[in-house]
Amino acid sequence: MLITMPDWIEHIDHTGDAGFIVQADSLSGLYERAAWAMFAEVITDIETVRPRKAFSFQLDADDPEALMLAWLSGLNFRHITEELVFCRFEVTRIQPDHLEAVAYGEHIDAGRHEIYTEIKAVTFHELRISRQGDLFTARIIFDL
Amino acid sequence: MTSRDLKKINDALWEIPRQGGMRVPARIYATEKMLPAILSDKAPEQAMNVAHLPGIINYSLAMPDMHWGYGFPIGGVAAFDLQDGIISPGGVGYDINCGVRLMASNLKRQQITGKMPELVTELFNSVPTGVGAGGRLTVSKAELKKVVRQGARWAVARGYGSESDLEYIEESGCVDGCDPAAVSAHAYARGSKQLGTLGSGNHFLEVGYVAEIYNPKAAAALGLFLDQITVIIHCGSRGFGYQVCDDSLGIMDKAGRKYGISLPDRQLACAPISSPEGQQYLGAMRCAINYAFANRQAIAHFTRMAFERALAMPPEEIGLRTVYEVAHNIAKFETHLVNGERKKVCVHRKGATRAFAPGSNEIPAAYREVGQPVLIPGDMGRYSYVLVGTEQAMQYTFGSTCHGAGRALSRTKAKKQARGRNIGRELQDRGIYVIGKSRRTLDEEIPEAYKDVSHVVDACARAGISRKVAQLRPLGCIKG
Repeated sequence: MLITMPDWIEHIDHTGDAGFIVQADSLSGLYERAAWAMFAEVITDIETVRPRKAFSFQLDADDPEALMLAWLSGLNFRHITEELVFCRFEVTRIQPDHLEAVAYGEHIDAGRHEIYTEIKAVTFHELRISRQGDLFTARIIFDL
Repeated sequence: MTSRDLKKINDALWEIPRQGGMRVPARIYATEKMLPAILSDKAPEQAMNVAHLPGIINYSLAMPDMHWGYGFPIGGVAAFDLQDGIISPGGVGYDINCGVRLMASNLKRQQITGKMPELVTELFNSVPTGVGAGGRLTVSKAELKKVVRQGARWAVARGYGSESDLEYIEESGCVDGCDPAAVSAHAYARGSKQLGTLGSGNHFLEVGYVAEIYNPKAAAALGLFLDQITVIIHCGSRGFGYQVCDDSLGIMDKAGRKYGISLPDRQLACAPISSPEGQQYLGAMRCAINYAFANRQAIAHFTRMAFERALAMPPEEIGLRTVYEVAHNIAKFETHLVNGERKKVCVHRKGATRAFAPGSNEIPAAYREVGQPVLIPGDMGRYSYVLVGTEQAMQYTFGSTCHGAGRALSRTKAKKQARGRNIGRELQDRGIYVIGKSRRTLDEEIPEAYKDVSHVVDACARAGISRKVAQLRPLGCIKG
């Protein structure tokens, strides 16, 4: 488990579910950090995950919020169905309605990776992406 | 919202009068003592939002364990007219047909004293919890289509349990009207490795004993006696159901606009029951309902095997049989008395349990005199309850009651309270042997993270929507 939480993540205290607010100085950085936060804060001890393989993602959605939902849901889907864990994320192309990215990780090794919990879904509840000057913020709530 | 916004109907029932776009009033089942906690989150506003939905009948109802949910509050019950009404995935939840099975044995508590570590370890090794644990029943997509058509019957036909289990499951473990073609490839992919797995979060398998009996006649009908060893299985439709819900939200969001349904909250996304979108969701949701029935049936079988191995006893001596299994996240077409006439309606129960009265044809013959068993789990450290349904539930809540304790603390706050403590050790000191796949889950699920479930069931009993039969106390538990 992480001993210190990066200062760009803030937990949302929500009875029953889990959520956080993530900040970054670019839109691509925001999507990268949101993915990192999901794996590090909700799914596993990300320090134990090695970036052994690269997995590509290419997604389209109606708006930046729906794109965030598709990105995180897509990662969660591959985590569950292919039994993968990820530790590094690189968004290579970003538009308000299109994302291309590479996630680095490996297959779950029960001996090394503790899976804390299973995310049922990334929700639209209070999902917001905003920008103030050079600071991008995303608010994300998961159903656990 | 404050208590001044509520109209007192009686000691255990409060009404939020119709206002704004509400088509009917909202009604909250709770004692006065429970109101401050209930009013501290947005669940009452969510109950009001539900009252806006087209075709809602009589009231938007909330049970005493109500708390914030996605769209509908958890603990929400609402019935809709089949012609004018809607179906809403937010009224069912992500974990479609999440539910509880109660099993009871021939064993008394004294017979397994000292054997709990072996038994719980065997259960933990026999019942996979979820991601990374390796499912025991990996099934192909073609086989999964049989699972979702046949529900618990699929499991029984493959040797997981017996025919006699089926009679004691709500809907006999299989609903009609499923449409496997309405389910996405993603849902099949998520479901293929998770059949027979418990899942994480608040899902659990608990070994306990009957600690108190409040209603000897009903307890006898259910085959329950003091100190009897019991098992509670709490889980649902796993990734299959989560994905069915997730897939439907986008479709419903568009459908709501298409049919001109004005919503106070986008998460109430819904479609007319008769619309193609509504029918598609119903067909997919029913597949997930059956997946969950098959899932709990398989887990019940693994549980029996684990008991036999850990206790080195033959199955006849253990006698682990299904008392009953209920669903608490579901939408179903049921016949209820509406304005004096029997009418088929679509009842949404989201974190609420069916609680049919004595005499109902839908309940097993052996229980028809006492009413449908209702199973209300508490937390890892205190107690759970067995209730039965009542005539008042049929009259006032479309045959529904509460489903559990409800969280008192967020996961973050629970983890803070658990910091520096060894939760497993603390519970063991209280005679409860617990194994969790992740230590973090145990921390998040500490007993004090939950409200006292006895307050919830007492409120239901006071309101008359169910009657207390027995209290069960935990001896051991596995958590995902």
